[in-house]
Amino acid sequence: MENSNTEDGPNASSAGTAMAKEESLILMKNIWKTYQMGVEELHALRDVSFQVEKGDYLAIIGPSGSGKSTLMNLIGCLDSPSKGTYLINGHLVSEMTDDELARIRNKEIGFVFQTFNLLARATALHNVELPLIYAGVRASERHDRATAALESVELGDRTLHRPNELSGGQRQRVAIARALINNPSILLADEPTGALDSKTSVEIMALFEKLHAAGNTIIVVTHEHEVAERAHRVITIRDGQIEKDERIK
Amino acid sequence: MNFSETLKLAISSITAHKLRSFLTLLGMIIGMTAFMLILSLLLGFHGYVNEKVAGIGSNAFTVQRFNFEDFKDTDTIAAAQRRNKELSFDELDFIKQRAQLIEYIGARSGGVGRSIRVGSNSIQNVRINGVEPVIAAIDKIDIQQGRYFTETENNSAMRVAFVGADIAKNLFPQGNALENEIKISGIPYRIIGIQVAKGTVFGQPQDNFIQLPIKTFGANFGGLRWNRAPNFAVTAKDGVKMDDVVDEVRTLLRIKRKLGADEKDNFGIITPDAISGMIGSMTVVFSTVILIVPGIALIVGAIVIMNIMLVAVTERTKEIGIRKSLGARQADILRQFLFESGLLSAIGGIIGLTIAYTAGYLITIYVFPTSIPWYAAVLAIGVSGGVGILAGLFPAWKAAALDPIEALRAD
Repeated sequence: MENSNTEDGPNASSAGTAMAKEESLILMKNIWKTYQMGVEELHALRDVSFQVEKGDYLAIIGPSGSGKSTLMNLIGCLDSPSKGTYLINGHLVSEMTDDELARIRNKEIGFVFQTFNLLARATALHNVELPLIYAGVRASERHDRATAALESVELGDRTLHRPNELSGGQRQRVAIARALINNPSILLADEPTGALDSKTSVEIMALFEKLHAAGNTIIVVTHEHEVAERAHRVITIRDGQIEKDERIK
Repeated sequence: MNFSETLKLAISSITAHKLRSFLTLLGMIIGMTAFMLILSLLLGFHGYVNEKVAGIGSNAFTVQRFNFEDFKDTDTIAAAQRRNKELSFDELDFIKQRAQLIEYIGARSGGVGRSIRVGSNSIQNVRINGVEPVIAAIDKIDIQQGRYFTETENNSAMRVAFVGADIAKNLFPQGNALENEIKISGIPYRIIGIQVAKGTVFGQPQDNFIQLPIKTFGANFGGLRWNRAPNFAVTAKDGVKMDDVVDEVRTLLRIKRKLGADEKDNFGIITPDAISGMIGSMTVVFSTVILIVPGIALIVGAIVIMNIMLVAVTERTKEIGIRKSLGARQADILRQFLFESGLLSAIGGIIGLTIAYTAGYLITIYVFPTSIPWYAAVLAIGVSGGVGILAGLFPAWKAAALDPIEALRAD
């Protein structure tokens, strides 16, 4: 196992070697994530290495328990690796403190979650404003930018609705507007269509394609092949390792 | 996240659960109301005592045979009785001729109690004492009718009387007290003046007295000795500190009594500050004890707030996770919850203060003077907010320390 890991590493990153390493948006090198379960060590990720270039559209797929959620948490800077180097947009994330990670999440990452994760008591507008609040943007500017972001996802007439007054697709679009509000380096989506019906899923995936076409870097973590097929590059995770890394478009 | 954002967030969280917030506040409201009400009663009492009993604000003090310390126990009383001589008019003249800083000095005798009867009307236990005419200026006596004594009336021991309003009203219901006669121990005195009614202090009537010229009093009540011995009332000149006047009078009396440098005073000087201080030292223990009870209520209020904040953190774990995923730092989350508990508690404090203030206002009108000084009000709000922040510290720390991944996974 250990041997095949080291072989997989360079292979896995080969898909992104077209550009110079320093310019990669995401650079993961020999990443390990180990959980201590009593006396046993559980390796959720084993020596994972890959790069993502700016403007790419990447899907990470794998069965449940494969480590893809762990990988997503690491990419999203919600967690730090046990071992290895992670650079995002030139920032060395793997050595950061909690507060520095929070800053990276605020500036560099736009999350889109399966269950939307909107604040139930807040309006769509306020939900979209949240990242700007933590970025210290003034109220009037926040309001203008959040309104524009909601308009760009065709929710300009729903700004003062609360999540429970919106449909699933509308909620996910609010979440996407929120993810994009701070002009992040990466739009990081975790099963973005998991809670949506198929028609709405198609709409959301179309929106992702539109965003990609507009120059956004998108990473989608999913177990649905229909979703993964929309991406331009697919990384398959199994048993905490990259099993396959292929460019499909 | 700046101040106004945090404040807005705290307000919206508090108003999101109005009933719960109100119930949470109830402990703080009750505690603060009780605390401020009792404090206002104590301060009102203190102010009342200072004004009415101690005479704080007047520039008068008294020289008398004994000092406060002489009453410490039976030994000190016995020692003082042996050592301290009664004050004499000789000593009064000695001070009067030499003092530079005093405005007025006058003698006033100890009092005796007598029942007075005029026709079918009688009053029990009327306080009778003798005074020098200058006492009118020292005590700032307000005359309703007639006049005060003259020096001539005093020097020739004339049988004239200056009486309190109750004496005039109750013994002469027709209102003809002035120039009428009252008999005390069989001797008739002509009423030459009536004082403006002063009401009561702690239920003690202040208008139930008869003053006579001190020499008249001495001649007709068995001499100015023992409990009838004189003491001296002194006022300071304008712009002179009372301490300096006290020093001057003490020094003069020590010289007159030929006390050595290392000998203690064998007389007492009682200033308003000393009276106030003595009453203060008697009431401080009482005040502390009586404030402990509402203080406990405040602590209970704080515990209620801490409890509800712990509930809020658990309930809002998901929200915390979302906020963290969007870039909230630990300090942002910490501040959010501290603000909420502090604001919650401060609102309770303000409501409690308002209730206490209103109640105090009504009590002042109908019962007894109360007082909440502005600094106590500011302090109350500050303390309640501080208590809330303290109570919120642990829950807020718990919230801030949450792992974002775990928090996002919560329902």
